[in-house]
This record gives sequence, structure tokens and C-alpha cells, in this order.
Amino acid sequence: MVSMSETRSRWFTAEQRRALIQEYGIFLAFLILAVILSVSNEFFLTPGNISNVLLQTSINGVLAVGMTFVILTGGIDLSVGSVVALAGIVSASFATTSSTAAVYGAPYPVVIPLAIGVLVGVACGALSGLIVSYFAVPAFVTTLGMLSAARGLTLIYGGGRPVPALTPEFRWIGTGHVFGIPAPVIILAVIFGLAWWTLTRTRFGRYIYAVGGNAHAAKTSGIDVVRIRFAVYVISAGLAGIAGMLLSARTGSALPQAGIAYELDAIAAVVIGGTSLSGGVGRITGTLIGALIIGVMNNGLDLMGIQSYYQQVLKGALIVGAVMLDQKRSYGA
Amino acid sequence: MKKLALALVAATALLAVPATAQTAKLKIGAAPYGLNAEFMQIWSAALQQHPAVKNGDVELTVFDGRYDALVQNDQFKSMVTQKFDAIIFVPIDIDAGATGVQTAHDAGIPVIGSNTRVNSDLLSAYVGSDDTVSGYMEAKIVLDKIGCKGNVVIIEGPIGQSAQIQRLEGNKKALAECPDVKVLEDQTANWSRAEAQKLMENWLTAHPGQIQGVIGQNDEMALGAIEAIKAAGNDVKSFAIAGIDGITDGLRAAKAGEMTSILQDATAQAQGAMDLAIFYAKKGDYKPESDIWAKYGKDMPWNDGKDKEYNVPWTPVTAENVDALLATRQ
Repeated sequence: MVSMSETRSRWFTAEQRRALIQEYGIFLAFLILAVILSVSNEFFLTPGNISNVLLQTSINGVLAVGMTFVILTGGIDLSVGSVVALAGIVSASFATTSSTAAVYGAPYPVVIPLAIGVLVGVACGALSGLIVSYFAVPAFVTTLGMLSAARGLTLIYGGGRPVPALTPEFRWIGTGHVFGIPAPVIILAVIFGLAWWTLTRTRFGRYIYAVGGNAHAAKTSGIDVVRIRFAVYVISAGLAGIAGMLLSARTGSALPQAGIAYELDAIAAVVIGGTSLSGGVGRITGTLIGALIIGVMNNGLDLMGIQSYYQQVLKGALIVGAVMLDQKRSYGA
Repeated sequence: MKKLALALVAATALLAVPATAQTAKLKIGAAPYGLNAEFMQIWSAALQQHPAVKNGDVELTVFDGRYDALVQNDQFKSMVTQKFDAIIFVPIDIDAGATGVQTAHDAGIPVIGSNTRVNSDLLSAYVGSDDTVSGYMEAKIVLDKIGCKGNVVIIEGPIGQSAQIQRLEGNKKALAECPDVKVLEDQTANWSRAEAQKLMENWLTAHPGQIQGVIGQNDEMALGAIEAIKAAGNDVKSFAIAGIDGITDGLRAAKAGEMTSILQDATAQAQGAMDLAIFYAKKGDYKPESDIWAKYGKDMPWNDGKDKEYNVPWTPVTAENVDALLATRQ
């Protein structure tokens, strides 16, 4: 690790350069990508397109923030895509004017469906969290189970059909603007800000790193490891609940097949952002950049008219490349 | 000796009674590729509503193929073991489905195809709709609306699926009739509304003010494009947009004048296949009971069950028929 005073005082040694690239490589990669795209496409840097990229990143961004909490403890949450669908459809059924899909009395005032969406997520997360932390079932297995169960519940709840005709108030969270900024982008910014503050400025945040770094040591130093582990799954699924509502508000209809494979993009954002899958190491700012890289890449390749199949190949290369950097950081220096 | 003969006659008579009772109630299995999306749900519900199922002549079992060719093949094996009288098959994959058909054929069970195709000449009959026709119809509607000149985009289904291939073929046929129309973009959104929405948002940025028409190969994707157009602050009605399938949200958007949908009649595909399944299970001693034959009349004649292929006509959703169609979705 290179301290700031050292870097300012003289030219970098080769070793320091390498350390810098490892530490800030992700920001660098993002800048390079942005420059390439601005040069190769005249529309990339227009305000309208920047707003588009942020909008298209917002849902994955919200999921990736939650995923960062889980991965920092050394866990994983595979269920977020299904929780997106479940929370999306349950909340929508309280916010629809369609007589066939509505819960009795719907549409309710917008706070009710919004609260219900978060609650559905939190409930899923509480169950996963309880099983992972208290019953010590591996997170991979637990959340894989939740992935299947939440998808099934989504299909049962909606009878496999979408919930259409959502109220304008509910749709605002997905389609509204504040001072020209899309509402989902603002929601992501607020969530990101809170997450950054929690992870860097609170005791709870430090405990998350401690549990991920060495759970045994954390326990002996008096940290309630079970509670911390429980909490991160509640956060992740709660945020998935919010993401689910953003998605249905954006598409205008809650779809039972929504969110399939969203967990993979969320994990990709976290990993590209430099958070170690073994836990304890990583930064929430990296996750945000990781999510932006995925969003910018998809957007840029769409603008250039390149088939989405190439986007998948590039994303794959990015994920593996980022982890290679991560490995070098752990074992190299 | 006489007593023994009598006993034998009595015994065969006793055995014969339950045997005829069993043949009276037909066991028919339906194997749709998956039940997660609206179209196949309407299809399955239509099977349950078939007169022969409702009056108890047919005992129907629906197997969810879970979008997996292997799962479907296993379901064929279990239907053979359980001695089903006929099978209605909607394969997920055009080639992989042939194995299942072979299995049933070897066991002497007739298989009726419905909705999606399978590369097998062992099907007793097939009831579906020709996707090249719908692809042509929807593109024609878009092109007519923009006056056969200007720019369009095509949002495709998953590349390689039979519906995507055939609908694209139809799209291209219509486009060939309008040489002044330029296809600005042409990409897959995998039948998904959310994916199409993203794609359209980016295309509107890349070609500001230049896109006049959107050819969505299904309703979901056309609906995604509509949301993107709205979000970008454009007037949806200044675009010519079309989709295929006639899903409920598509009907609603058609009613609002935002798009045109081409209805694929899941009910006719399902009930037509059921009539043929019963026809083959009873070795030709059967008259069709579903009212779909009367509905389409000479556009899809029963022909005493002799045809190998039954083409269910497509119906463009218009202001005149949209309310009646929506009423069937309650």
C-alpha cells in the first residue's frame, strides 16, 4: 500500500505503480472506457445519454450495494433476482387499477405498496439471514433455495400473470424526475450514500469487515457475528425489494419473469469493483464504479449497434480480469 | 366341460366390462414447454375448457416442461409408462423434441404437435400458426402506417428460436416491398420487456428523431419500446409500433392506440390439438367438439381429421374486436 505523502514526494517506483494500478485500476478502467466511448460515438456524452446510463444502472446499482454488504461478510446472495420479482409483483398488486390483478381495495395510497415491497424483501432476507447465521447453513445453499422459492411464490401470487395498470404515483419512483434527474438515480444515490456512511463511519460497518476478515477473531473480540450476518441478508433482500419496485414502476407492469439472472450482474458489479469474494476486503465506491462500468459498456455497445452477445463476452472478461487483480493484491504484494 | 366353458364365458364377460369402461375415459397428456408466461397459461386453460375434458370423457394431465428439453423427454417416458392414449406436445426445442416423439411413436401413442414445431415426421398432426405470416403482417402494418418510407428498428426474439427465425423472415418479406425504408437497428431483446426498454432507450439516443417505426417480434418487447419512448418524452402515437401474440397488456396498449398487436389464438391451437388427440386415440371414430372449428369455418376446415397440418389464422387486434378479446381475459 502506498501512502499519499510518499506518492507526492517523488516519482513512483515500479512496485508502487503496480500497487496504484491494483488499488485504483477500476477507476482507471472506467475512465478509459468512458473516453473510448465518447470518442467513438457522438451521442455518448450527451446529457440525455448520461441520464440514460445512470437510469439503466440504477436497479443493478441498488442490488449491488446490498450484495456488497453480504460479500464483505464472506457470504453471497443468489436470491436477489427472485426477490426483485416477488416484491415487484406483491407491491404492484396494491398499486394497480386493474380489477383482476388487484388486492381488495387497491389502489392504496402509494406509501402502502412501497412499504409492502420493502417488507416483502426484508421478510425474505430475514429468513435467509436466520438460516445462514443461526443455523449456519452455507449462504450459497440458503440463497439458492430462496432463489427458487421466491420465484415460485411470485408465480403463485400472481397466478403467473403480470400485474398491469400501476398508478401514476407508484410509477413515479421509476419514471419521475427531480430537477431533470431520473427518480431511480436519486434513489440509488441516497442508498449509496447511506451505505457508504454505514460501512465507513459506523461501528456496524467496521464489524461487517471484521466478520468477513476473520469471523473467529471477531467473535472472540466480542462482536455478535450471528447478528451481523443476519443483518446483511436483511439489507440485501430489502434493497432487492426496492429494486423490484423500481423495475415494475419502470416497465409499467410487474412481470413474474422479471429479474431473472439479476443476481449475476449484481455480483459482477461487486467483483469488478474490487471486493473480495472471500470477505473482509472491498469498498462500496468500487461497487458503484463496477455497476457503472457494466451499464456504460452495455449502453455504449448498443449505441454502436453491436450485438448484445459481445456485451456478454466483454462482461465475462471484465469479471475475470477484475478478480485476477484482486488475487494479485491479496497474494502478490 | 360345459361348466368350465360357462365359467370362461362369464370370466371374459366380467373382464370385458371394466375394459370397455377404461377405453371410454381417455387419458390424454399435454406437454407444454413451460407454464411461466401468459401465452402458455391461456393455452393450458383452454385445454381444461375443452368440452370433452369438462364432461369427463377425457382425463387431462398437463406437464410443465420447465423450458428444458430434457425434462420434456423424461415426461414422454413417464407418459408412455403410464399408457396415455394420446399426447399433445409443445416442444421447447425444434430438434431435441424429436426424441420424445419417437419414444411415444414406438409405444404406439399418437402425438399431436401444437404451437411450436418439432423436426419429426412421426407427428400425427400439428395445430399451430405460421410465424412467417404474423411477421409479415406486423411489419406490413408498421410500414403502411409510415407510408412505406422512413426508418424502422426491429426488436427480435432469442436468435435461433423457430418463432424468431420465421417472424424475421416475414418481417424481411414486408420490408422488401418498401425499398425506401431503412432498418436502423436490429437486435434481440430475448422476448423481454425490460431488455427491449433498455435497447430502445439507447436507440432513441443514437438516432434522435429518426425512428418512425418499431417492429417488435412479440408484444412484450413492443411494450418495452413504448415505455422507452414515453420515458424519453416522445409522443408514442407519432410512432408506428407493432407486436405479436395478443397478450393482455398488448391488448390494453392496442386499445389505447399505442400499438397494433397480432393475436395468436392459443385457445384454437390448444382445443384444435385436443380434438385431434381424441380423434387419433379413438382411431378416427370422433367428431370434433370444440367450437373453434365453427369459428374459423373455411379458414381452418376440420377435413375429417385427415390433414397433417392445421394453420390457425392470425387476427389483427383492432378497435372493433379489442373489447371482446379483453373480456375473455378476465
